[in-house]
Amino acid sequence: MGNKKLHLKNVIKRFGGRKVVDVKDLTFGTCGIEGLIGPNGAGKTTLINLITRKINMDSGQVIFYPGSEAIDISKKSLDEIARLGLVRTNQVIQDFESLSIRDSLLLSLATSKYEKFYDVFKEGKLREGTKQEIEKYLDFFHFADPDGHALSAGEKKLLDLVRCLLLKPKFLLMDEPTTGLPQDQIEKVIAIMRKKTAEEGMSIVIVEHDLDLIWGVSENVHFMAEGEILIQGPPEEIRKNKTVINKYMGESYAQGR
Amino acid sequence: MEQLLSGYFVYSFAFLFVFIALATILHMQFSLTGIVNFGIVGFWAFGMYSCALLLLKLHIPFVPAVLLASVLTGIVSLLLGRIILNLDNQAVLVGTLAFATIIEYLVTTEKWLTNGVMGLGTINFPFDIGRMTLFVYFLIILAITVLLLLYVSRLRLSPFGRLLLSIKDNESLSQSLGKPTFRQKLVFFTFTSAVIGLFGALTAPLYNCIFPRMIGPGVTFSIWIALMLGGRKRLFGGLIGVLATIGLFEFLIETVVPIPAEYAEMVPNFKFAAYGLTLMLVLMFRPLGILGEEGRGTKYGE
Repeated sequence: MGNKKLHLKNVIKRFGGRKVVDVKDLTFGTCGIEGLIGPNGAGKTTLINLITRKINMDSGQVIFYPGSEAIDISKKSLDEIARLGLVRTNQVIQDFESLSIRDSLLLSLATSKYEKFYDVFKEGKLREGTKQEIEKYLDFFHFADPDGHALSAGEKKLLDLVRCLLLKPKFLLMDEPTTGLPQDQIEKVIAIMRKKTAEEGMSIVIVEHDLDLIWGVSENVHFMAEGEILIQGPPEEIRKNKTVINKYMGESYAQGR
Repeated sequence: MEQLLSGYFVYSFAFLFVFIALATILHMQFSLTGIVNFGIVGFWAFGMYSCALLLLKLHIPFVPAVLLASVLTGIVSLLLGRIILNLDNQAVLVGTLAFATIIEYLVTTEKWLTNGVMGLGTINFPFDIGRMTLFVYFLIILAITVLLLLYVSRLRLSPFGRLLLSIKDNESLSQSLGKPTFRQKLVFFTFTSAVIGLFGALTAPLYNCIFPRMIGPGVTFSIWIALMLGGRKRLFGGLIGVLATIGLFEFLIETVVPIPAEYAEMVPNFKFAAYGLTLMLVLMFRPLGILGEEGRGTKYGE
């Protein structure tokens, strides 16, 4: 069970007069893996962007509990939030075009004590200290050429996830992490999610349109539509809920199950 | 031999190495970090003029004057960077260009301090060992330039260099990995600009007397074109580019090729036309310059 909580109070975001996110009171992280579902345009990605401060909210408060103390992260910057242990993966593919896969992973692992402009002789030590950890992930996910660039969309998506995992987050927000991945890799992603939550107490919130995956992995599901969290509950209840069926899944999907 | 060592060639090479250093610093700022510095001449001029003023007005000895000039350039670029570095590329371009223009105008108008267009001088070499003076001074500039190139070659293989590349490629992704990108960019901009100031200070005795016309935007454009021609992504891009542009035009053509007196006036104008044409051809047919693309990843220990 994860015990890292994220508490959102009255978070509001408008894009040109249209209210895209309006969350009154929401707690993430009471269970290990939680799902966040909803139709396109419901505001799921925007909500993640607001939590990690990639974009600014109009009003509201986000409180993060990395340990026992509560930290108000509504005024902190993207990088400060990441250093506190609240990390997100990206829905749209993001990559560093100059960095090979291995470089990308080393970047993720290098702490600020390695990154000094006046000390350019730390590379050996960094490689030595991180070798095992990097090899572990490279073996697990099988990248075609770890010293080259990530070429396919799938590899870039996986790389994005591994970069985040190497930061050892306490709380991980995953925005459609399995889109574009082959089935065997999806299973590996699920396996690693389960492992991290069970063994390291990581809390995960996953946004997905692959509903079978959501029903399979999450202990708790939040349903979002038109910027608001409408219904919360265990997956068995959510999938039978009339509102969710009407607004998102459609009758045929619900009956097919 | 002594004749040669005190002559125009040594003088030319001292300048060439100053420009090679500037192009290499531009490589660090632009190609490694993504800072579009279009006012490189401003930092250079600031270092040059502050060193000259410290020497001539406050009578500070040469070595502390050079170091102080470099530190002052660093402080000014810290203040400038604080304002412009979190803006987008176009804004950084305009901001640095504006900075260089402000420096040029201040130097021209503040006659009480800089002597305006009459020029500031004379700035002597820090030592006088007869005919060898210029040659030894050239060796000092050469040594500092080589040190700089060594630093850059290590930087490209270091965790900090990797961080710089990540900022250039995708700053918000780098931030989301917990990197304080703005602070690191500001630190690096300050440091590299201070080095530009250092080279500016070292140039002052070479000129002997310094004038505002030496610090026009043409210097910035020459350095940019040199770097683009040589290969902006490569360690030696600046070196190759400066030799192929400034080396070829300013020194080889002007000193070696016999140009009839009636055409001599046309050479400087022709030079900039040729630079522009070169830039266009490079961008059209070899966008990454003579040296081209770098290898995959940061190959360490291979």
